[in-house]
Amino acid sequence: MNPHVDFHAFAPEIVLTVTIVAVLIADLFTDDSKLPARIAALGVLGSLVPVLTLAVDGQTRSLFGGAFVVDPFSLVLTGFFLVAGYVTLLLSFDYIGEGDYYQGEFYVLLLTSLLGMIVISSARDLISIFVALETITIPTFVLAGWRKHDTKSNEASLKYFLIGVLSSAVMLYGMSLVFGLANSTVLVDIHKYASGHTPALFAVAVFLTLVGFAFKVSAVPFHFWAPDTYEGAPTPVTAFLSVASKAGGFVALLTIVRLGFFPSGNSWQPILWVLAAASMTLGNLAALRQTNIVRMLAYSSIAQGGFILVPLAVAGDVRGNAAWQAVVIYILIYGAMNLGAFAAVIAAARRTRSAEISRLAGFGRTNPAIAVMFSVFLFSLAGIPPLAGWFAKFVMFRAVFDANTTVAVVLGVIAAVNSVIAFFYYSGVVRRLWFDEPAAGVELSSPRLPVGLSAAMGLMTAVILVVGVYPQFFARLGEIAFQRG
Amino acid sequence: MIAAFTITPSFYLILAAILFSIGAVGLLVRRNVIVMFMCVELMLNAVNLTFVSFAKALNDVGGQVLVFFTLVVAAAEVAVGLGIIVAIFRRRRDATADDLRTLEG
Amino acid sequence: MWEQQVAFWVLAVAMAAAAIGVVRSRNIVHAALFLVVVLAGAAAQYILLAAEFVAWVQVLIYIGAVVVLFLFGIMLTRAPMHDDAGALDNDQRWGGLVVALFVLGVLIALLVNAFGGKKIHFSNALVSLGRTSHVGTDIFRVFVVPFEVVSMLLLAALVGAVVLARKD
Repeated sequence: MNPHVDFHAFAPEIVLTVTIVAVLIADLFTDDSKLPARIAALGVLGSLVPVLTLAVDGQTRSLFGGAFVVDPFSLVLTGFFLVAGYVTLLLSFDYIGEGDYYQGEFYVLLLTSLLGMIVISSARDLISIFVALETITIPTFVLAGWRKHDTKSNEASLKYFLIGVLSSAVMLYGMSLVFGLANSTVLVDIHKYASGHTPALFAVAVFLTLVGFAFKVSAVPFHFWAPDTYEGAPTPVTAFLSVASKAGGFVALLTIVRLGFFPSGNSWQPILWVLAAASMTLGNLAALRQTNIVRMLAYSSIAQGGFILVPLAVAGDVRGNAAWQAVVIYILIYGAMNLGAFAAVIAAARRTRSAEISRLAGFGRTNPAIAVMFSVFLFSLAGIPPLAGWFAKFVMFRAVFDANTTVAVVLGVIAAVNSVIAFFYYSGVVRRLWFDEPAAGVELSSPRLPVGLSAAMGLMTAVILVVGVYPQFFARLGEIAFQRG
Repeated sequence: MIAAFTITPSFYLILAAILFSIGAVGLLVRRNVIVMFMCVELMLNAVNLTFVSFAKALNDVGGQVLVFFTLVVAAAEVAVGLGIIVAIFRRRRDATADDLRTLEG
Repeated sequence: MWEQQVAFWVLAVAMAAAAIGVVRSRNIVHAALFLVVVLAGAAAQYILLAAEFVAWVQVLIYIGAVVVLFLFGIMLTRAPMHDDAGALDNDQRWGGLVVALFVLGVLIALLVNAFGGKKIHFSNALVSLGRTSHVGTDIFRVFVVPFEVVSMLLLAALVGAVVLARKD
């Protein structure tokens, strides 16, 4: 009666778990502060190896009655999360090393959160999704408060924590009602249940579940924690929160809507529509008024989250997989742009010792290399060709046109207006970088940039340029993700 | 006579809904961080009660397994949450959620 | 059968009253003790629902660990035991109450609508359902992945809590 366990399917998770334990032990027994970091980086790259072998093998592996599925979708996203995690490690090495923080423990928490992400891309039932989501979030509560002698960091962490536990309670209540109605936690069964006639309670259950997710992906009106937490947390952690942890929420949302709630369109589509429209609009309007670059990027990531929600909100009217593909492609590109932008913020802050946008004036003249890459990331976020961002926007609008209903078109118009608004604040920063005179008394000292940071920026710039010019590369990944294996 | 008072799953579900709402009100109304956190625990307990009643009503042990996971996750949350609160209280004598205004802007 | 009903009602009233106590109490330690009543009541309800494993886990983890952690938290932070009247509430008090009552009403109506007709039959088959062995088999046969992941989560939470709470 023992279930057959396919260890190949779990190999990425196993490698990462072993790495976490190895980092913890290495930190315990050596004084070499670089060793835990090296093990962590090696382990993350090591987990990519089984992802590749599974991809070459190509067959869909469904385990535990469909609760855990390794298919092209989960492999594409596992790969994305691991790369994003690796880039975060690159950003963290010097930041954490120089700040006299607990290094080994930092990597343990970061990797545990990453473990939650790669589990979530394969999870196909409510229990696994919930546990994986909490594994993503709980370590990040601690990471946000890592600078524990800094009041802002403390409070960033507390605020994030209270909102986080509240959102999991609400989400769980929704899930409990879904379980009670559908008589199962596996998404396939919930899909079957939602195809039939459902009582009004199901809509409430879906609503509560989605509200929980809205907190996790910081969609308006459940976004208010994000700017404060992003500002207070150490910047590499902010990069991680805004990219990987947010993407984790979106992946879970995509999975649960696509494979679970989908047939009951009336229960989830209006909610996602409102979340998408509100996130884009309010996120962008708030970003216009920010004077701090981290807060600006926080609101910008709320707005980008709204753009990611657009194809999800219209998915019910799109035939085939175009809408799901748009979400995945947007997540991949958003990850590269935002990680790059935060890398540039860290690099710039090493010179200017400030996160105020006004202090970036004239930065392009003294540090052209960083400023060029910074501009690439910002213009890509604004969606200007030939940078990758345009393709993300393109697939989003294509999904809207495929849906071709009135509500979808209205949402598309809102998205178009917002793309224009967004251009103003992104280009405002770029103008500062290149055309403003450096403020008097600002010393732009230039110590050498750490290798990890430069590598991260270079890598992200390369991805954005390559994908911007050859979008087929990510488009293909999007197609593969939804192929039947 | 007795049949009128037979306990149905909805009794348990309503009790859970009441507990959930009380927890939610507490979270909105109270300002002390530790008490707010206790209110979240109330809400999580309501969720657990819902799961167990469904497990019973549906004859499905899966609901009880879910409760097991919720409990463990809640324990992890409490450990982390109190760590955060202790870190904050070390720096200031008394913290309420209103102090978080430092970050608003 | 009537014993079960009496037990349900006594416990339900006690739990609701204690829950209100958690929210209203001006003394943090009292709030924690009210929380114990709610948690113990829930454990007793689990036994009524033939979920003995969950009931004992509830007692061990929630009452044994979580509440004790709360009390330690209160002690370690030397938080003021008594809230001043002003610090207790914020101005959202009545708004919050109205919204919550409305949501509760809707929820109850929908719950009754969806599940009102169902009854719980206390048969032997159901009692055996809650046996620990069944829960155990389910956890280790179907939910191995979440089980392993949650163990890593606990490890990370432990490490994180120690880092944050350490004095340095």
